[in-house]
Amino acid sequence: MDSKTLIDGKSVDCDESEENISEFFMCCVCLDILYKPIVLACGHVSCFWCVHKSMSGLHRSHCPVCRHPYHHFPTICQMLHFLLLKMYPAAYKRREVQILEEEEQMGIFSPQLDGSSFESKQSSVLSSPSNVSSVPCSASEDKVCARMQESESGFISQDRVRTSSMEENNLPKTNCDGTCNEVSITDALCSACKQLLYHPAVLNCGHVYCETCIIVPEDDILICQICKSPHPGDFPKVCLEFGKFLEEKFPKEYALRRDAVEHRRVQLENKSSTACSRNASENGVQSLFLPGDEFPTLQGKDGSMVHLAVGCDSCGMFPIVGDRYKCKDCVEAIGFDLCGDCYNTQSKLPGRFNQQHTPDHRLELIKLSDFTHNLMLGIVRHLEDGSPFLPQYAFEDSEDGSAALESSVAQQSSDDSGVAPVSRDTGNDEDQSNEPSSI
Amino acid sequence: MSGGIARSRLAEERKAWRRNHPHGFVAKPETGPDGSVNLMVWHCTIPGKAGTDWEGGFYPLTFLFSEDYPSKPPKCKFPQGFFHPNVYPSGTVCLSILNEDSGWRPAITVKQILVGIQDLLDQPNPADPAQTDGYQLFIQDLPEYRRRVRQQAKQYPPLV
Repeated sequence: MDSKTLIDGKSVDCDESEENISEFFMCCVCLDILYKPIVLACGHVSCFWCVHKSMSGLHRSHCPVCRHPYHHFPTICQMLHFLLLKMYPAAYKRREVQILEEEEQMGIFSPQLDGSSFESKQSSVLSSPSNVSSVPCSASEDKVCARMQESESGFISQDRVRTSSMEENNLPKTNCDGTCNEVSITDALCSACKQLLYHPAVLNCGHVYCETCIIVPEDDILICQICKSPHPGDFPKVCLEFGKFLEEKFPKEYALRRDAVEHRRVQLENKSSTACSRNASENGVQSLFLPGDEFPTLQGKDGSMVHLAVGCDSCGMFPIVGDRYKCKDCVEAIGFDLCGDCYNTQSKLPGRFNQQHTPDHRLELIKLSDFTHNLMLGIVRHLEDGSPFLPQYAFEDSEDGSAALESSVAQQSSDDSGVAPVSRDTGNDEDQSNEPSSI
Repeated sequence: MSGGIARSRLAEERKAWRRNHPHGFVAKPETGPDGSVNLMVWHCTIPGKAGTDWEGGFYPLTFLFSEDYPSKPPKCKFPQGFFHPNVYPSGTVCLSILNEDSGWRPAITVKQILVGIQDLLDQPNPADPAQTDGYQLFIQDLPEYRRRVRQQAKQYPPLV
């Protein structure tokens, strides 16, 4: 991507013309500033919805940047979220309005992040019930950020005085270098060592650590030290974009951290038990699937059922493999579901899509025979209202054998046909039939 | 319609393209007779690479984006009957980065697709043929294949 020109373009095209958004914070899917950023285990960042819409409901999903496979929809990275909100308030506000509008159309909402919920419940990205349309955006942001640091790290910001002076302004003034330059090192501290992040890596729960501060217990699953939630999937790789930003923003401090970490690494070399030397796939969720398994098998490796297009609202597993528990009391269209593990650990988290789930709601085990029903429901729902929870492969070119499925629902799609069905109709049949026969 | 990001992404793609794009390439959304712009269909031109049999040709290509873009790749079509081993008789390009199951990533830009297809022109992939004519000549009669390519290049002169 041409960062330079992108930045120039921003300053011409957008209302937030004084904010020069760093190339590191452009989402590679929507090509706009990241909104509610999510960091995948491979270290690549995208917006909440950009990640979600790129996911497959049938089997593992792939990173939009590198195609690295993953099975759990990570939680929003709050640190990046508040950092962006602080640096680029105008652009971020624009995104907020735009996304909220889209969410209202869909009837599904992303988690609302506000300071109070973060303070009271730092283990979760998900907010307490709050009116979606009244998200505080400007005046309280800085308080939010300051509180966030204190609550997250128990560390009183040295820059508190400086930050809080901004609270009087409605929108922080942009500085001459183009950013809202009130970001300090305290906005980017490691959850473990409480120092400036060096080689930041983000866990599935959205908490950020230095790569070297993530320690996997022997023969155990990686657990976040902040929220105690297990990190499923691959060992997280460094979020390079975030790291590069920090290096650029705090060159001196970052260099000091590098020296310190490298020095310690040399010391630890003998013990050879540092986190980064650990084989990435050891705790891997990939064990649920056969290696190289790109196509739906409808069953996990151990024969457990895959619940198509249904995700766990606690750990983010999508689709759920194994037992699935569905909430009988949540009224939201998207529903509320837990995987077997999260059900057994009594997850107290509200939904991933702002569902108002509470611990006294009743959950029921969904039987395997509901599977076909589930699949068809997903297809029909997509055709009717474009619900994003779609089993994507049902709509593909017929290479993978879904042709019958496709044709059986083709009639229904006629009233709702956007460009997708049209482009599918025009050439594929011909293409597919030509391929084998012509050679 | 669903709250897809297809249009906003395409608007950004358009901006990025106008700021900077590789020399000789054209990519613009379709404009209706009334001047309205349809971002879901782009008309592009790919220049044949200098120093290859494709040089001198400016090949018209159409992108058809779906509402699922960029989760799903656009369909890329040359004119019907385009001569190339990896182009279906309908004109649809067969390329790994345009296949959702193998190479497509939502991060791939319009520019990368066009450059990728330009590379494909002179480097066909015999392992994945899409038409009889181009494929058989390519593996059985390379001189004739090259003659056909040069002949096709003349069919697509520069637009100016």
